[in-house]
Amino acid sequence: MFSSFCPPVADVLLFLPSCCRCSPLSALLLLMLSSFCPPVAAPASLFCLCPPAASHPSLIFHCPAAALKYTDKHEWVRVEDGVGTVGISKFAQEALGDVVYCGLPDVGTKLSQSDEFGALESVKAASELYSPLTGEVTEVNNALSDNPGLVNKSCYKDGWLIKMTISVPEELDALMDEAAYERYIRSIED
Amino acid sequence: MSLGKTPVSVVNLGRVAYRSALQIQQHYIRQHFDSSNPTPNTLLLCEHSPVYTVGIRPVQYPAEEEQRLKDLGADFFRTNRGGLITFHGPGQLVCYPILNLGCFKKSVRWYVCEIEKTVINMCSKFGIKASTSPDTGVWVGNNKICAIGIHCGRYVTSHGLALNCNTDLSWFENIVPCGIVGKGVTSLSRELGRDVTTEEAAPVLLKAFSEQFNCCLVKADNSSTCECQAGKNSAGMERRYKSLHPPETYLLHTTQSVR
Repeated sequence: MFSSFCPPVADVLLFLPSCCRCSPLSALLLLMLSSFCPPVAAPASLFCLCPPAASHPSLIFHCPAAALKYTDKHEWVRVEDGVGTVGISKFAQEALGDVVYCGLPDVGTKLSQSDEFGALESVKAASELYSPLTGEVTEVNNALSDNPGLVNKSCYKDGWLIKMTISVPEELDALMDEAAYERYIRSIED
Repeated sequence: MSLGKTPVSVVNLGRVAYRSALQIQQHYIRQHFDSSNPTPNTLLLCEHSPVYTVGIRPVQYPAEEEQRLKDLGADFFRTNRGGLITFHGPGQLVCYPILNLGCFKKSVRWYVCEIEKTVINMCSKFGIKASTSPDTGVWVGNNKICAIGIHCGRYVTSHGLALNCNTDLSWFENIVPCGIVGKGVTSLSRELGRDVTTEEAAPVLLKAFSEQFNCCLVKADNSSTCECQAGKNSAGMERRYKSLHPPETYLLHTTQSVR
């Protein structure tokens, strides 16, 4: 009898403010809904507080501050709502020097993991950029045309380079988390 | 003793077409990703026929500009290096270090700084006081004596530096060198008031390079310039290089011994 009053579970999440989506309250709400609603295909991680969003791109669960994953070439990727935002790390921008030009791909460019997708110029040096994941470029940071220094000043925020779809979410598992990347940096500097 | 120093093979290409030099650099870049090659670090020396080249910022040099420069009798290439427009020609010593920065320091900013110091060191051996400025390159006062523009992929460098020895500097009057308005160019010959050839400059540059990068240079004919035993593979590289490139594209001659 409740079926007419029971929207699909995923749609309920849309009405929750994002700050509540990972809260115990939302988990309890989902548990109640699932017990009244017709069976809905729900991944087991529905009842997890913070499932890795990239493992289940169809879910709109996400943690308020998505974690960064890093490549050994010092690109980072942040996944939110199934979209990966890509930039370079603080270590990388320091090693480059002041960025004066960003050569970035066109929207729609298809990239495989580790493909070269552009270059950053600094101190008369053009340094290649490598895609952390397989996917398609959906957006390019046009602010960098007039203000390439954002890559140095705000490498994790305003200095983002591209956004891309994530065709192979499993690739994220092989990337380094923050702790592993910090260890990697220390091993390079030694 | 030079144990523990990174070996770097020196290949003197002599006068070589710019297009050929690009292909040769790609050959040596590939060596770095060939795990069977134990000593892929290479330093290429050469001279080019007149050519203008630009870096990865192509917008400032449209097709009309390209044609204007070609009409002056020079070649024109768009490259993947950093830096804006420059000129290469006879009398200019061009050096392309194809290095794995993992053997030195994994920072292009550091690498470019070391290249600048190398050239400043080399100029001082000629009695010329050179310096850096906020604009990358090596300067004598307001005149650039050496241009720098490099590419780095997976920590392997290519392109490099171009030092004016007895270059005909009038070729630079057709461009704004490196996009820097209001500054000029100079050469070793102009600064010293005598003719300084690339043959005279090359061993001095190599000496400065080996000092700055703390490396062991090995000549392409497999004779070492120092006591280290590295570079055994360099003769093999030369044979492979000769098999890849028609002889008319290069003129191989050894440099003077570096003391």
